[in-house]
Amino acid sequence: MSIHTFHIQRLQRNEETGSIYLKGKNNMKIIKRTAVALATTIFFATVASAADPITVVSWGGSYGKAQDSALFNDASKNSGIAINRESGASMSKACLQVESGAVTWDLVVTGSGSGAAAAAKGCLEKIDYGVVDVSDFYPNLYTDYCVGSDVFATVMAWNTDKYGEPGTPGAPNSWADFWDVKKFPGTRAYRANNVDGALEPALMADGVPPEKVYEVLATRAGKERAIRKIRELKPHISVFWGSGAQQAQLMKDAEVDMTTGWNGRFDNAKKDGAKVGYTFNQALLDYDCFAMPKGAPNKTTAMKFLAEVSKPEYQANLPFYITYGPTNKKAYEITTAPKALIESLPSHPKNVPLMLPVSLDFYAKNRTEAIELYMELMSE
Amino acid sequence: MLLGLATPSILTIIAIIMIPLGWLFYLSFIGKGGEFSLENYQRMIEYKSYFRVYIITFEVSILTTLVCILIGYPLAYFLSQLPQRFAGFFMLTVLLPFWTSLLVRTYAWLVLLQKKGLLNEFAMQIGLWETPIKLVHNMTGTLIGMAHIMLPFLVLPLYGAMRRIEPEMMQAAANLGAKPVHAFWKIFFPMSLPGMVAGSLIVFVLCLGFYVTPAVLGGGRVVMVATQITAILENQFNWGAASALGVVLLLATLVILFIAGRILKLDNVLFGRS
Amino acid sequence: MQDKNNVVEYSKALPISIRGLTKRYGSLYALNSIDLDVSSGEFLTLLGPSGSGKTTLLMAIAGFNRPDSGSIRFGDSEMILAPPHKREVGMVFQNYALFPHMTVAENIGFPLKLRKIGSKECQQRVDEALSTVQLLNLGDRRIDQLSGGQKQRVALARAFVFSPRILLMDEPLSALDKKLREQMQIELKQLHRKLGVTTVYVTHDQREALTMSDRIAVINEGKFEQIDSPEFIYNKPANSFVADFIGESTMLPVKKKTSGDLFFQDILISSGYSNSSQEEWLLVIRPERLFLVEKNNLDSDQNIIFEGVIKEFVYQGETAFALIALSDQHSLSIRFSTDSSGSRDNMRPGESLKIGLKRSEVIIIPENSN
Repeated sequence: MSIHTFHIQRLQRNEETGSIYLKGKNNMKIIKRTAVALATTIFFATVASAADPITVVSWGGSYGKAQDSALFNDASKNSGIAINRESGASMSKACLQVESGAVTWDLVVTGSGSGAAAAAKGCLEKIDYGVVDVSDFYPNLYTDYCVGSDVFATVMAWNTDKYGEPGTPGAPNSWADFWDVKKFPGTRAYRANNVDGALEPALMADGVPPEKVYEVLATRAGKERAIRKIRELKPHISVFWGSGAQQAQLMKDAEVDMTTGWNGRFDNAKKDGAKVGYTFNQALLDYDCFAMPKGAPNKTTAMKFLAEVSKPEYQANLPFYITYGPTNKKAYEITTAPKALIESLPSHPKNVPLMLPVSLDFYAKNRTEAIELYMELMSE
Repeated sequence: MLLGLATPSILTIIAIIMIPLGWLFYLSFIGKGGEFSLENYQRMIEYKSYFRVYIITFEVSILTTLVCILIGYPLAYFLSQLPQRFAGFFMLTVLLPFWTSLLVRTYAWLVLLQKKGLLNEFAMQIGLWETPIKLVHNMTGTLIGMAHIMLPFLVLPLYGAMRRIEPEMMQAAANLGAKPVHAFWKIFFPMSLPGMVAGSLIVFVLCLGFYVTPAVLGGGRVVMVATQITAILENQFNWGAASALGVVLLLATLVILFIAGRILKLDNVLFGRS
Repeated sequence: MQDKNNVVEYSKALPISIRGLTKRYGSLYALNSIDLDVSSGEFLTLLGPSGSGKTTLLMAIAGFNRPDSGSIRFGDSEMILAPPHKREVGMVFQNYALFPHMTVAENIGFPLKLRKIGSKECQQRVDEALSTVQLLNLGDRRIDQLSGGQKQRVALARAFVFSPRILLMDEPLSALDKKLREQMQIELKQLHRKLGVTTVYVTHDQREALTMSDRIAVINEGKFEQIDSPEFIYNKPANSFVADFIGESTMLPVKKKTSGDLFFQDILISSGYSNSSQEEWLLVIRPERLFLVEKNNLDSDQNIIFEGVIKEFVYQGETAFALIALSDQHSLSIRFSTDSSGSRDNMRPGESLKIGLKRSEVIIIPENSN
């Protein structure tokens, strides 16, 4: 299986809703946090020992639960490293901790793009590959600052009662179908206030072949073309979603008929009884990873824990809890997951060719302009 | 002497309000490369979304305040006319939302108002309407949710002002020949105005910074300044740009309050003389 | 056209006639089947301790509470069911109840505006009312810029500016200090004479009642004890409650002997009670009616003479006050004027002395009379 075309750079996957930590009076909080954290840092600097629990931060909803069940609980037990699990992972919060010199997080889950952007800003520790063994990893699923944790896809999902089971005749199968409100009348949901994975579908729906998408998007005209296409759909977009948990909820409650979102969330919603199906066709292939904020309070212990969770025996269990693929090749060899489950992972060789791998380069160069244009659309 | 005694509190106020504000102001002039720059303000002119977001923010805040007044005034009036011990009980029900998490209340509204939510299901069951009405993921839902959260902030000062109106005032009005309706509009209402203005200002200013409720109940269609700030931070880690948005919101709010103060003679209403 | 020096003409003053008025709060009678007539233009004071029912009665006249039974007539009209705003009575509240969001002139003009009186006439009448209460230049003031006495006058002006047929006042002077209160008492009296409006005045201050009233209605526990002119109330109290409540007094028990004469111990107090079945009586003595007996030749036909020992002597400026023990159980208070010679050397506690009371000033009331 090859994901070598797979680039890094997806800034920011905001899985959590309530990230309200910055409002008009943000700096008051920053100062407060600085003060508190400063005191905490001084305190822990004097008493810290290897026995201190490390703080591991992930996202809410079924994603965090899946990581607990497959990775964190067992790794903690086997390594004897106690962990303090928090929710609300965000690279901007991690950077804030680093810049205010008040780091409380040790390991943070992030989208590949956000991780790369945070690394570029100097917010992350270099991963010690003497400790973390990535010899069996796919080469593009780790960087100097991030260790891949799972592979996922941004897909289109729909209410199967309304549009039929995936793969059956007449069911939606492309972004063009997502946009086609005559053939598939009903309501849509789309990404809110964040540009990741939001422009590519629009261009594919507008007839740009997948391999040309990033080339077109690299120009302002290309971005405006994508925005125009989304504007065309906007009257039918009844909800803009802000988190993975919300994607699942929207489908569970049948609030909308079709949405974009992350494949694992929909599989879990389906397990909960939602009438939802999706296709990997024209989906965006991406991965999540672990990063360590610069100046993490328990750097050495956290690095050991990172080495532990990156072992194939834990990753092999992940598909049982969420349909995201392992980043460690060996996990595929030792997993006891049934064939059907393996084949449903976005990283399965059968699925990868259907998808467009997300481009690191595009987001590194175009993120600012893209988000400004996207916010114009949002605020209309 | 007195000034000397007040020094610690003045210093505290400076430390917790003025210094962060000053820092916010400073950050807003720092460019991406860490140098002094106006780029954070330039982009606000360059892209139309910023202006729109401010308009939406003020629109939502004003509408929420109006909804709160429409619901809160009769409610506060009702409470103020009850004997104190009953009023206490009813006030508890008004204040109950204060003890519930904002997120929980917001999601509760979502469950009630969405397409297959309790309200739509019920209305369709009894035949009020046939297809679900869109009550949430739009302005309507945002206003309902925000007004619910903000209501106590209006009702509390208003109720206080109404309680302070002595019953003799209404008796005097009646005695002088005013019908109950007249007595209300000429005497009770003007005397309750300071409470209403104070409550409305609190609601209005608090609304300006709202994030969660419009984000959840607005369905992404009600983009407020706080949303825009979050989007900039989450996408770009750009404190400067976010600070500039905060500074402009602060200044716009001050200008609006100043104008409103001129029109309503706020210092009389708030610091006088009743 | 009216004379410029005269305020509005108050020929419309109406009598008030109250019959069988009862108001209960639970099992408590605030008013217990009260009858009262206030004649046109009269100044009547309702005097009583707190909780006596005087304010309840005033509120019933104003229409702020609904009595359980009875009748209230203004002239020929039954008002018991009329809402307050239709009663056309002016009222001065204890706390003035001035509207804080209006100026002085707006407060006074309020009842006129409600009566749709044109702005020119309104202005004129407000000015007249202001000049009547001597506040002519304060029309533009805010209420919170006024002193207590000024507020009082504004409340008064607002109460009479619309020419009400009846004026009610609920302890209007109680918030003022003593000096101002006494000054306002006289002014109110003068104003009443000028306006000639039927006035019902509530107070718990007996001195104020004596100073101002044409008649005083002493009320206690929801019933009238006595309704009379101040002189009668003071000199001929109907019972011990009135005697005790109005002015200072000492009461001595007197007993009827077979002759039909009343005696305090062995002193003859009064004669001619043989037809009464009442055995026990009280002698009411006002301290200022007693005098020191300095000569021995005082006529005991005209005067009652008590002998006693000084227990206490207090010098109070224009008068002095002494407590005289007549026996182990009984004592008398005496008040007499002082003079510049300061003849108080013989008024030391322990000294014996004689006190006289003119027989013409004897007040006898039956014991257990209330």
